[in-house]
Amino acid sequence: MNPIAQEMQNIAKELLTSGEVTAVIGWEKGTFWYQSTPVMITSAEEADKLIWDEFCQPNLSKYLLDYRLNEGKVAIFVKGCDARAFNRLLQDNQIERQKAYLIGIPCPGMKDHKQAALVEESAKDSVPLAKVCQSCRYPNPVVYDRLIGSEVTPRATEPDFSDVMALEAMTPDERYAFWQEQHTKCIRCYACRNACPACNCRNCIFSDSKSGWISKDVNTSENQFYAITRATHVAGRCVECGQCEMVCPSNIPIMLMNKKYIKDINDLFGKYDAGIDIDTPTPLGHYKLDDPEEFM
Amino acid sequence: MIVIDKNKLTDLLDALNQSYQVIVPAKSADLTQFMPYDAVKEKNAEIILNENTVLSPKWLFLPQSEGMYAFWAKNKKLEIVDLPSDLEKMRIVFPVRHCDVQGIACLDKVFLDERHVDGQYLEKREKTVVMALMCNNPKDSCFCASMGVDRAHANNTVADVQVYDLGSEYAFEALSDKGQQAVEAIKALGSEKTVAVPEVKEQKIKVNIEGLPEKLSGMFYDSIWDSFMFKCIGCGTCAFICPTCYCFDINNKIRGEEGVKLRTWDSCMFDEYMLMAGGHNPRPGKKERVRNRFLHKLEYFYENYQMMLCTGCGRCLRKCPMNVDIVKFINQANAK
Ligand code: SF4
Ligand code: SF4
Ligand code: SF4
Repeated sequence: MNPIAQEMQNIAKELLTSGEVTAVIGWEKGTFWYQSTPVMITSAEEADKLIWDEFCQPNLSKYLLDYRLNEGKVAIFVKGCDARAFNRLLQDNQIERQKAYLIGIPCPGMKDHKQAALVEESAKDSVPLAKVCQSCRYPNPVVYDRLIGSEVTPRATEPDFSDVMALEAMTPDERYAFWQEQHTKCIRCYACRNACPACNCRNCIFSDSKSGWISKDVNTSENQFYAITRATHVAGRCVECGQCEMVCPSNIPIMLMNKKYIKDINDLFGKYDAGIDIDTPTPLGHYKLDDPEEFM
Repeated sequence: MIVIDKNKLTDLLDALNQSYQVIVPAKSADLTQFMPYDAVKEKNAEIILNENTVLSPKWLFLPQSEGMYAFWAKNKKLEIVDLPSDLEKMRIVFPVRHCDVQGIACLDKVFLDERHVDGQYLEKREKTVVMALMCNNPKDSCFCASMGVDRAHANNTVADVQVYDLGSEYAFEALSDKGQQAVEAIKALGSEKTVAVPEVKEQKIKVNIEGLPEKLSGMFYDSIWDSFMFKCIGCGTCAFICPTCYCFDINNKIRGEEGVKLRTWDSCMFDEYMLMAGGHNPRPGKKERVRNRFLHKLEYFYENYQMMLCTGCGRCLRKCPMNVDIVKFINQANAK
């Protein structure tokens, strides 16, 4: 067995047997070879379900919201991006640090499961890494109680904005046509919102058509309103886990819009990486007297 | 049967497109779905015949949003106006796999129920010719055979034409008057032949549904739901891609003094689906929602209409972002 999976199982058993935690959230193998999926175990006997492979991309931190009112501690495994997502929830005052036990796993990068779904298992080695993983700068968990394995060297030291720059190089009409085509495909399943650790509002305006902000009519303009509003609301808080794009059934390049915001924020307010430390306020969550104010 | 060479696919679609609006499965902007053939040509999209589309053909009969009527409120008076039909021509959809044909049969049960026939749905059904394709290349996620779908003969309450894939040719057999007319339109492209129904290739996933609705009727309070619900993130993916999920919401879209009454897809997995005036929610958590999804598909619908509300198309197995797997659920329920 994969030594990391073995250690995950041992730790899960230990924590559940000692009663230190009431549940452990990890990954189990899914239906197909390219699916690894979140699982919660509550007894040591179930620990052998836990796995670790190149498809463990689902971010586990957001599941903690389902247990925030429970008594006792829940343990979760965190890759680099899960750890940043955990900090996201912490900084947004959604969870309490002492109610979680974090088992960090330095991450070698996850494969693109959508590409994998198009080929046979025998071609597994040719499946590329997920886009966000290719330029990941924080594969090592930034917060944990215990670490499995040893730290890995990040694949990148600077953010990769090449796709954003290609977008910026388009004429406004081309850019408009590009997003029109993408947002026409949106079916408003809200999987991106529901998977996103930064989308943690208890009542989302998109679930409340009575508010009048958006109707339930699914058309390009309302879909665009949804996409832009969501991207704006996570701007400065997005931890670049890429979950939104990974879960999208319509293959909309959601990260492209998020990264445009990240790049603009870096340019306007100075370099900022969300979810790294929770004491620095988010760039759009506070103000400084020397903030740019061209429009005022 | 009329046998036409696959090389003549474009001629075939062009011939049909003269008197019908042809709808085909195609891939555009990295998404596979059923699209008008005219749009396929305009966008240079790729016609997809060797796999099932991500989005099902359900929208052809139950659009994701559909106006029901318009209204004006002027000088304290309300005026209600019918909306014009958006179907000018007869439509033809080619090809629809048997799982999706069965999906339409499920929708028929609901919207053509003798207690209430839905006029908008009926119009779309009457104005559409369904060409069913017996597929001989099942995916690793297909399990329609287990869900009671006849792999060799499409449900003939829905299919107007049965199409067989003979390798390098297609064979067309009319099953209804509408279907006969459509076959007439393409007859000149091929020749009349007697062909044997091709062999049906086995599907990898097999699941036993014998006695399942009865069994589930006693499992409302079972512990299975406590563990099964965990992964679900309450999105609308499963319901929206499913060929059978038909829940809708009725709402208003109002601008100034005028508005439209809209019918839009809804999903029982959304937290606000059951929210009532005053804030009470009878299905407050994901356990109740996941339970409802599976019981509706595998018990309630069967009790009402003697058929399952899952056709084994496998879309949710592939596309549920967290892999909430209906086959695994059935297996676990059977093992109880
Ligand atoms: S917007 Fe996307 S990448 Fe950013 S935190 Fe949310 S899910 Fe992750
Ligand atoms: S079962 Fe999967 S697709 Fe359906 S609501 Fe839950 S997470 Fe979304
Ligand atoms: S429940 Fe899943 S497999 Fe069954 S018909 Fe719907 S999408 Fe297809």
